[in-house]
Amino acid sequence: MATPCVFCGAAAFYRLFLGGRVSLTRRQGVWKAAAAELQTDTGFQILRLRHTTGVTTKKNVAALRRETYTVDFIKKQIEEFNIGKRHLANMMGEDPETFTQEDIDRAIAYLFPSGLFEKQARPVMKHPEQIFPKQRAIQWGEDGRPFHFLFYTGKQSYYSLMHEAYGKLLEAEKRQSQLQAKGLFSEKTETKDLIGSRWLIKEELEEMLVEKLSDQDYAQFIRLLERLLTLHCGAEEEFVQRFRRSVTIQSKKHLIEPVQYDEQGMAFSTSEGKRKSAKAEAVVYEHGSGRIKVNGIDYLLYFPVTQDREQLMFPFHFLDRLGKHDTTCTVLGGGRSSQAGAIRLAVARALCSFVTEEEVEWMRQAGLLTADPRVRERKKPGQEGARRKFTWKKR
Amino acid sequence: MQCRTDLGLCVAFPPSPVTRSGTQKAAFVGSSWPAKMAAPAGKVARGWSVLALTLRTAVPRLPGLTQVRWSRYSPEYRDPQTDKEYYRKPLAELTEEEKCEQELRKTQLIKAAPAAKTSSVFEDPVISKFINMMMKGGNKVLARSLMTQTLEAVKRKQFEKYHAASAEEQATIERNPYTIFHQALKNCEPVIGLVPILRGGHFYQGPGSLRIHQPPPPRPATPLPFRPRCCVVPVPLPARRRRFLAMKWMLTECREKKHRRTLMPEKLSHELLEAFHNQGPVIKKKHDMHKMAEANRALAHYRWW
Repeated sequence: MATPCVFCGAAAFYRLFLGGRVSLTRRQGVWKAAAAELQTDTGFQILRLRHTTGVTTKKNVAALRRETYTVDFIKKQIEEFNIGKRHLANMMGEDPETFTQEDIDRAIAYLFPSGLFEKQARPVMKHPEQIFPKQRAIQWGEDGRPFHFLFYTGKQSYYSLMHEAYGKLLEAEKRQSQLQAKGLFSEKTETKDLIGSRWLIKEELEEMLVEKLSDQDYAQFIRLLERLLTLHCGAEEEFVQRFRRSVTIQSKKHLIEPVQYDEQGMAFSTSEGKRKSAKAEAVVYEHGSGRIKVNGIDYLLYFPVTQDREQLMFPFHFLDRLGKHDTTCTVLGGGRSSQAGAIRLAVARALCSFVTEEEVEWMRQAGLLTADPRVRERKKPGQEGARRKFTWKKR
Repeated sequence: MQCRTDLGLCVAFPPSPVTRSGTQKAAFVGSSWPAKMAAPAGKVARGWSVLALTLRTAVPRLPGLTQVRWSRYSPEYRDPQTDKEYYRKPLAELTEEEKCEQELRKTQLIKAAPAAKTSSVFEDPVISKFINMMMKGGNKVLARSLMTQTLEAVKRKQFEKYHAASAEEQATIERNPYTIFHQALKNCEPVIGLVPILRGGHFYQGPGSLRIHQPPPPRPATPLPFRPRCCVVPVPLPARRRRFLAMKWMLTECREKKHRRTLMPEKLSHELLEAFHNQGPVIKKKHDMHKMAEANRALAHYRWW
């Protein structure tokens, strides 16, 4: 009989009954598997532990309080980070002066390879500003008087920002009314960069102000900024631009396949497409008569269903090039509809090489260039299918 | 987890599930799944589909975006526009709004076009919706073939009538099955609907709906002269609800009220033609709904929205 290792720490002694009832109050932190072993040779039954855990019964009150970092501590961390960065650069044989954050990430991934799925659990080396949350310095002096005049509102940064914005609004209105009185007021054109940028989101604003905001506060602030924008005053533009972030133009992200040439000098383009578990590869020739061959078989015979053939024709019909290209495709996996969808995506991507940028953007907006992410949802235990539950019986 | 079973005693421990949520819930069958499935919006239940591809990113709430919990797309994805003519319009013809919208669409992510949608001129969104509603068990092929057979049957019947009619009547006979279909469904759409409203602790479905063996529930204090028992309140219906009801009634009528030997296209074409002429059981159902709404007109003030 193996001697059970009794955990030292009287509080962490499990008493297990045959009913398997575990004291729920002891579940703190990580709970490793515990087993019981009956000891019968002494004549009375004592349940002893084989494996034990380091769990205390008392709640760790200190850990629940939010950790505050002093300014000196952060400074020290920054120094250590910089020194560590130089060491890392030397280790990797790179120049310490031009060692960027991406180089650091690559070096850490190389030196500490991790197979963990959760990206945030992997080892990381970043500037302390990004790791330690931004905290406020003490807001009051030695005499206890707060520095900021809006301290007692509770949200001093937010209200001071609103105050500033409203002040600017009043100035702009005053200027406008002065211009109108003089008769020099003219209707200005709208700012064009409204499309390429978006307002700051609430989380970004919170980060900027180092303060918690409510949804109504955020909405109020954005409304005020929009009112400022309608007044078209040049002086306030920079103030408003601080709260706008640019939005990427999506079509630039697409990779257009280069056109290749075969032995006869015919131009063609190859591309791949996926849908559910079907994978397709399509070769679209620049000049042809609209024939489509799938896995060596004519598409009329391979896809007897009209809907699938319509899907194959969709990219060509959309670009008005129905009878102008020859296509050869290979497709594996999936069912009939997903094979058709995979070929459609492959053909659309291949056609991008023969077509203008504007038409590529049109195809993207028609949904031809997006890979469909929908897959079959798994069945869950306790249910009959992915969503369907078992028949509910009252008793 | 080892447990000694030689003595016939087994101490059963619930296996601790591999969750990332940090809470320790035993994975008993049927108990904690609803809680797990109610994960915060924007996150797939990671403990179960770790390797599943997902387009969903942790998107904070932006104005104008509704998070759809069960969609594989992130909320910022927009629906695709498959109409060719929309893109071929020359720049001069566009209004300011349309230009703005076009610029905006360049920055938006677009979903993939569904498998039933093309840029074809023969495609009709109403017909597609009707086919989907007619479909059973995912058998789209059958539903679509039934639809084409129905439209063919409608066309044949109309042509027979056309050839049998005199010259003046020929002008009035509509032969295009698509216009007949649209007009029939439009005729079947109800204008006003009924909604049961909670009153006195119970939802009343109609006059005399209380069961006899139940004691009558305590009623809140209402003015003496008029105390309506039934609270089915007339309510204006939004457009999509009306279209849905029209199609639903048509399909229910054709599925249930036909002879066993008659086929769906035959019955459906017959019903469509009757509805086109404002006759038939579906139109009658619409009129019944309107009459009920008219009868309960006095309760309309119970509506608060």
